[in-house]
Amino acid sequence: MAKKNTPPVIELKGLKKRYGIGDAEHFALDGVDLTIEKGEFVTIMGPSGCGKTTLLNLLGLLDHPDDGDYYLEGTSIKHLSRSHQARIRSDQIGFVFQSFNLINRLNVIENVALPLTYSGMFRTKRLQKASEVLKNFHLSEREYYMPWQLSGGQMQRVAIARALVSSPSIILADEPTGNLDSKASHVIMEELSDIHKRGNTIIMVTHNPDLTTYASRVIHMLDGKIASDSKTPRELKKTVKKVSLGARHEEAKTAKKTTRAASKKRKTTKAKKK
Amino acid sequence: MFRLFLLEHIQNAYYSLKTTRMRTTLSTVGVAIGVASITAILSLSGGVSQIIAHQVDALGGNIAVVRPGITNQDDINSFANPTVAQTYTTSTLSEEDLNDIQSLDGVDSAAPLMIINGSVKTNDTTADKSTILATTPELVDIAHLPIKDGQFIDSVTNRDTAVIGSGLSVALFGTDQSIGQTFKIRGQTFTVIGVLKNMDDPINFNNVDFDQTAIISLESGKSFNRGLTQIQQIDVKAKDSSKLSTVMGKVNDRLLKNHKGEKDFSILTGSDIAAPSSQFFKAITGVMTTIAAISLVVGGIGIMNIMLVGVAERTREIGLRKSVGASNRNIILQFLIEALIISLLGGLLGYIGGYGLAFAISTFLTFTPAVTWEVALAAFITSLLVGIVFGLYPAIRAARKDPIESLRHYH
Repeated sequence: MAKKNTPPVIELKGLKKRYGIGDAEHFALDGVDLTIEKGEFVTIMGPSGCGKTTLLNLLGLLDHPDDGDYYLEGTSIKHLSRSHQARIRSDQIGFVFQSFNLINRLNVIENVALPLTYSGMFRTKRLQKASEVLKNFHLSEREYYMPWQLSGGQMQRVAIARALVSSPSIILADEPTGNLDSKASHVIMEELSDIHKRGNTIIMVTHNPDLTTYASRVIHMLDGKIASDSKTPRELKKTVKKVSLGARHEEAKTAKKTTRAASKKRKTTKAKKK
Repeated sequence: MFRLFLLEHIQNAYYSLKTTRMRTTLSTVGVAIGVASITAILSLSGGVSQIIAHQVDALGGNIAVVRPGITNQDDINSFANPTVAQTYTTSTLSEEDLNDIQSLDGVDSAAPLMIINGSVKTNDTTADKSTILATTPELVDIAHLPIKDGQFIDSVTNRDTAVIGSGLSVALFGTDQSIGQTFKIRGQTFTVIGVLKNMDDPINFNNVDFDQTAIISLESGKSFNRGLTQIQQIDVKAKDSSKLSTVMGKVNDRLLKNHKGEKDFSILTGSDIAAPSSQFFKAITGVMTTIAAISLVVGGIGIMNIMLVGVAERTREIGLRKSVGASNRNIILQFLIEALIISLLGGLLGYIGGYGLAFAISTFLTFTPAVTWEVALAAFITSLLVGIVFGLYPAIRAARKDPIESLRHYH
């Protein structure tokens, strides 16, 4: 899916994030190198505290790396001002959270239209666009409901619609099904899968190994490092090997088959691309 | 772009204030009370200033007053020492000065004001708030005193006659038809030969409430003071208002000569005449406004309190807004505008309530509150300032919140 001559959507080089000082100092991210091309559906897995969420926050410009480089669509974000970063968040990044984070006093359509406020769109146009997006999620008849009148699955669909409304280049999802039952989870995953098929780039953090079946690429993290990085079988069938992943692909594939948690098998630790 | 955000924020603030209606109302009331007291004080004191200003205008621009001693306009002590205090000092102005002023070229007439200590009583009644004023017949013309019945004292009337204000007449005799009645000052009997019309005008350039005054001739006045004059003020009327300043120059030269070069008197014209009393009122206004401003600060703290609560409650919302692209400035504006809506709404209510209060109070007073744009502006600016000063800190605090921490709030 990656077109030649276009820079990857995300390129990380030796990204580090440190928390605490002195004795308590530890690296939430300890030198992460990662390239994500346009149109990939990446799941990031790993035990609690391995740095998944930190990575997602850094990707979403909510946090700043202590070391290393982050290129978003070919531009380094290192020296961007705060307001410029806010601008990027509004134009290029869509967030989906575990706890939906809808604003309770705004109705569904206004919640969806919220990101467009900050890109300076007028209200009528904003609501029009939000309505269009909601139609895709079969929520048209719920436009004027308040968030508390919706089920968990519906709320998350509204939140996904909100993430999509400004046509971002990446969608970052932090445990999007974490608060949902399995039925609703699958509905949400189908939605995300759908969005992926339409050509969107999705990066999702999850604990649930079942959900990796929807993804095109699975990354396992351990102690702030990428422990394994593999294409899912489904993806392997239809895509050509990527140069960036090189010959280690087969190894990673085997690892995927034998165990769900790469962390348990140390042999795959070098699977990350250089 | 900015306009868009402004509209957006106003709408947004409206919704969020609506959801917390009770506490929004309460903090609005807090500001309203402060603004109401400021409005009431400023409009009432404005009413006093208007009276004084109108009087200066009504004098026709050809009146000047000469007062003993030097009135220093800028001295802070002159606030505490309004003209009334001059009653108790020995005047530097003499009858000779008065006669010399009257004989000057360009002077139409001049009248002395000599206030006598003493009570006015009939056989069975005493008027408690009366003033005894000794003067010459010219005063009726200079001060435009309206005669209701009878006549003013003049050069041919008997020494023991008096003209009284209608208020005093009612107080002494139970009626304002009191011509021919008699009353006593320090045991000496006076006959009423004239009654003034009710003027309801206690604040004027003569510092005398003519409604409550018994006016007697200067000769009678002197008899109460061992034959000496004690002139608190000389009212001078020039023939031509355009030549007032030249005439007053002459008065000044003449008095300097009489007083052996000593400048122990003041000549006041125009708004300076009213200055001591208006300065006095300004000082009172200043003090009262300061007290009212304290209540405004309390209202402001109320706003700050409520905004801080709002910011804490909406931590997640702030995190979310930031993650979908709100810049720090957007967040600051959002909360600042909420604070401003509370304070401006409070200002508006306070302005209306303040005038309500002022008009209610003025039913007990002799003047009405001034409805001027200055009072409206003062109410607007103070409430705007309260909103900005007390809304800025919560807004900045909201903007400084770390989006990650905020989104994790209450998980």
